Amino acid sequence: MISFAWLIPLFPLISFMVLILSGKKLKNASGYLAILLTGISFLLTIGVLLDLRTITEFEVIWPWLTVGEIEFQAGALINPLNGLMLFVVSFVSLLIHIYSLGYMGEDDRKSSYFAYLSLFTFAMLGLVMSPNLLQFYMFWELVGLGSFLLIGFYLYKESAKKAARKAFIMTRIGDAGLLIGLILLFWQTKTLSFLEIFQAIEQQKLAPGMITLIAILLFIGAVGKSGQFPLHTWLPDAMEGPTPVSALIHAATMVAAGVYLVAATYPLFLASEWALIIVSVIGAFTAIFAATIGLVQDDLKRVLAYSTVSQLGYMMLALGAGGYVAGVFHLTTHAFFKALLFLAAGSVIFALKNQHIKQIAGSGKHLAVTKWTFLIGTLAISGFPLLSGSFSKEAIFAALLEDGQYGLLAVALFTAFLTSVYMFRLYFLVFHGKGEDKPERTVPLCMNGPMVILAVFAVIAGFFGSQLADWLAGGQGSFAVLHHSPTWLIFLATLVSLGGIVLAYYIYLRKQINQEEWKETFSSTYTILYNKYFIDEFYENTILYSTRAISYLIFYIEKYVVETAMAFVSGTIKAIGTRGSRLQTGQVQTYGTVALLGLAAIVLFFVVKGGYM
Amino acid sequence: MGLLSLLLFSPMIGLLLISILTKNSDHKSIHRYAVLGGIIPLVISWVAYIQFQGHNQLAERVSWFSYQGGQQSFVIDYELALNGFRLALILLTTLIVMLAILASVKQITKNPRLFYQWLFVLELGILGVFASDNMFLFFFFFELTLIPMFFLIGKWGHVEREEAAYKYVIYNGLGSAVLLIAIVAVFAQAGTTNFEAVQAYMAQRDDMAFQVGVLIAFLVAFGVKLPIIPLHSWMVSVHVYAPPAVVMIHAGVLLKIGAYGLLQFGSGMFPDAFPVFAVTIAVLGLINLLYGAFLALIQDDLRKVFAYASVSHMGIILLGIAGMNTAGYQGAIFQTISHGLISALLFYLVGILILRTGTTNLKKLGGMWTAAPVLSGLFLTGALAGLGLPGMSGFVSEFMAFVGVFEQLPLFGAVGVIGIILTVVYFLRAILNMTFGDPRKNKYEKMADIGKGELFPAGVLVAFIILIGVYPDSLSQLLQITLETLVTGMGG
Repeated sequence: MISFAWLIPLFPLISFMVLILSGKKLKNASGYLAILLTGISFLLTIGVLLDLRTITEFEVIWPWLTVGEIEFQAGALINPLNGLMLFVVSFVSLLIHIYSLGYMGEDDRKSSYFAYLSLFTFAMLGLVMSPNLLQFYMFWELVGLGSFLLIGFYLYKESAKKAARKAFIMTRIGDAGLLIGLILLFWQTKTLSFLEIFQAIEQQKLAPGMITLIAILLFIGAVGKSGQFPLHTWLPDAMEGPTPVSALIHAATMVAAGVYLVAATYPLFLASEWALIIVSVIGAFTAIFAATIGLVQDDLKRVLAYSTVSQLGYMMLALGAGGYVAGVFHLTTHAFFKALLFLAAGSVIFALKNQHIKQIAGSGKHLAVTKWTFLIGTLAISGFPLLSGSFSKEAIFAALLEDGQYGLLAVALFTAFLTSVYMFRLYFLVFHGKGEDKPERTVPLCMNGPMVILAVFAVIAGFFGSQLADWLAGGQGSFAVLHHSPTWLIFLATLVSLGGIVLAYYIYLRKQINQEEWKETFSSTYTILYNKYFIDEFYENTILYSTRAISYLIFYIEKYVVETAMAFVSGTIKAIGTRGSRLQTGQVQTYGTVALLGLAAIVLFFVVKGGYM
Repeated sequence: MGLLSLLLFSPMIGLLLISILTKNSDHKSIHRYAVLGGIIPLVISWVAYIQFQGHNQLAERVSWFSYQGGQQSFVIDYELALNGFRLALILLTTLIVMLAILASVKQITKNPRLFYQWLFVLELGILGVFASDNMFLFFFFFELTLIPMFFLIGKWGHVEREEAAYKYVIYNGLGSAVLLIAIVAVFAQAGTTNFEAVQAYMAQRDDMAFQVGVLIAFLVAFGVKLPIIPLHSWMVSVHVYAPPAVVMIHAGVLLKIGAYGLLQFGSGMFPDAFPVFAVTIAVLGLINLLYGAFLALIQDDLRKVFAYASVSHMGIILLGIAGMNTAGYQGAIFQTISHGLISALLFYLVGILILRTGTTNLKKLGGMWTAAPVLSGLFLTGALAGLGLPGMSGFVSEFMAFVGVFEQLPLFGAVGVIGIILTVVYFLRAILNMTFGDPRKNKYEKMADIGKGELFPAGVLVAFIILIGVYPDSLSQLLQITLETLVTGMGG
């Protein structure tokens, strides 16, 4: 089965092509077709995973682009990490295709929606099985395209248009870093294949300074894609897209691709201490930074978006601290519980047609399945004992402790506390309270089903930590170790998680702590957090402003310098021309003849004279 | 008559067919004969492609005249020869001219007979430029393209068409003058204008100063055509005021003579002296790339956005050439072909847009997607191709050009990569403002979407763009031998 792994992305591609070319005719069938083809990909993935138990690495490559003696290749690389990613992507994607049947059921551009969703799935599957950085980069851009199209899906909305454009541009900034990094790497190693790059690093063919530079450039790409500070601002705005899209692209898969990039090129990062430090510091800062913003946002999806940014920061933090397994583990569990949270949020929006949590004010409680699955997701992300999030977070804390990063550990623990506060704030405000609004429509089975399945995974995924470590160690080697915490750390982590829940309980459910009073006491802090530290405004007034200033500067150069010079030249020539204007007859054919004859005369003249020059 | 001459003069058939018709014959039959006339070169060029694949060469030579002057003999022959690069450009030419004729069917209502006559003369000129194997023939055909373009712009263009036509002729005329001086200088030295013979001659002589001088002249002459900033303002006018069908040929093929000339006259004939210009060309490339991009950012007219985008994209060609290695040259050649296809697509769509709305002013356009989803989708596709999305031709060429320039000049490469961010900004700004947003903003609510018959040219262009993007070896196999000669001449 594993030798056919390269077929996996092709089925969603077929789905995309069929739907984009004849989606209008297919109407309702378009959703089913997309589900069928994604389902085939999922089954193939399962087959590949079964094979991976015995074969730990499989690579197939074809020539793609010949440049003199250099040959760039395309193909598929299957190793445990890629296998795991294939599973996460195809599984979550399949569930979200099914969920979308209900969620997008009444949209008349449904076939376009499923086409884009398939395009994204194709690109994401191709990305996680790339054997080299060039193919990786290509699919990396294509997932960006899928994301762009889906963020802007409600294209009649001005805000969706802006969000889509912003997402494309912000991630492209990161991509520029990635592209520079990979070209530098190419000239250093004469290859872009992951395996050959690792060999070159092992043989110490690269100067340490160069490794650090390249690692940082690749990381800039990851920062853009995974919404890390300072390129995070597009991700919350990306919530303009349909909610299933937020679940798939902006929670479970694409935004995790940055984390995957660091994991997939891990030997490169391990070879540079500075690169690792930068990864962990950016990760830790993003984690706590986004969590604080999440505390005060009032839009259901935006809170989840900041939560995603924060959790991705966690994963980066883990990788930077040498917690390879911990980072990948958290990526996996997060994919399940965050997709679940978004789908549950989607059902709330679907049924209540509202996503402002203070306006919803508890109306979510009428949706039983949604409420319970959302609670499971909330508990999982908050690190409630025995749910998946608690295990993967604990692995991250352990890795930090092992690495001796006590400062970052403190940040991580505090972020965990904030996480359970803002998540339970969300839960209490949406699902507990007066709940005056009755749902406008019931949530169909095709939406509830995927939520329940994801809830099961959000509960149990945590128990497979050590299996995951063994699985990853099978392919990569020495760095795939799962760190275990001492008892006091487990105890502390649990305490932090429960403490957050209790605090949220007293503020938002029992209302014993008056939040309005807090808002007034810390009004400036509140304003800063509510406005997301004014980062967007800062960019608007610095980068965008100066870009426009340069544009206008060049505009005036064009207008006054270039055009004036032009006018002078053409004026001179016209002046000469007017003297000869008596020769003008106005007949087009004459002009042509004269020009040709003139040319011939000139040439003949030079030919004859040639010898004497 | 050999296949190459047949190919070269095949547009004459179309010209004759059109000329047989009387001035008063109905437009429908004129268009029909024009389409027929466009198909003939297209078919012959593909026959040439198949022939070339078999033997990997195709050449014709007829002695024309020679002349004994002093110690030296001076020879000018009728020489045509193909290599991979020239063949690719010829295929591009016949394709785009054909599609431009299809676009003209609806766009050109004023005296179509004369329009097509000039168009076929233009095609003949372009084919000649790319098929010539010596500088004399090259120059002859190069001049031949000037005249029909002048009338095509001046007579069938929009608003400031006459001014644009004059600008075109003045700039290109000055460029030609410089080119002619340089050609004559080389001819006087070498006694031949054949590309290979000149290269062999120059390799023997160690006359750096002369070679550098001639190269500067070529850089200026082809810099007008490419165009290199600050020689570009004629090209913006042509983009904006010429009829879109003509711009398809202008941006798609004619500007490519600049890139072709730089490679053929530069590294092709002076492999030893050309690398002296690496840094100069890299600087010019960066200026083009960023200057064009920043200006494209604030234009209110879609055609101006695309014009400055072209300026910016030509910067990538220059950066690739500045790499002075296989990857860079291949990137430059790919960008030449790719940009030809993409700008032809964009201006084909502009033509359709103008037929529906009568404007390309971005302030008047908006929310088009609801009324015309397919046209909007095609615009977006064209923009994505332009901004170098992987899976389309633009990415492959940009990637190779950057790989090329990074080998020797990594800093220039790094600054250039920043240009790809700006590319996204200006393309998305223009296209999204036009297609996305509130449908009520669309003043042309009832505008018709692109028709079934109009889809074909766009589809063909998109197909080629994606073919090169997905399977670039389809083009690069054709180029390998050409590249070898370009690079090995430079001793590595």
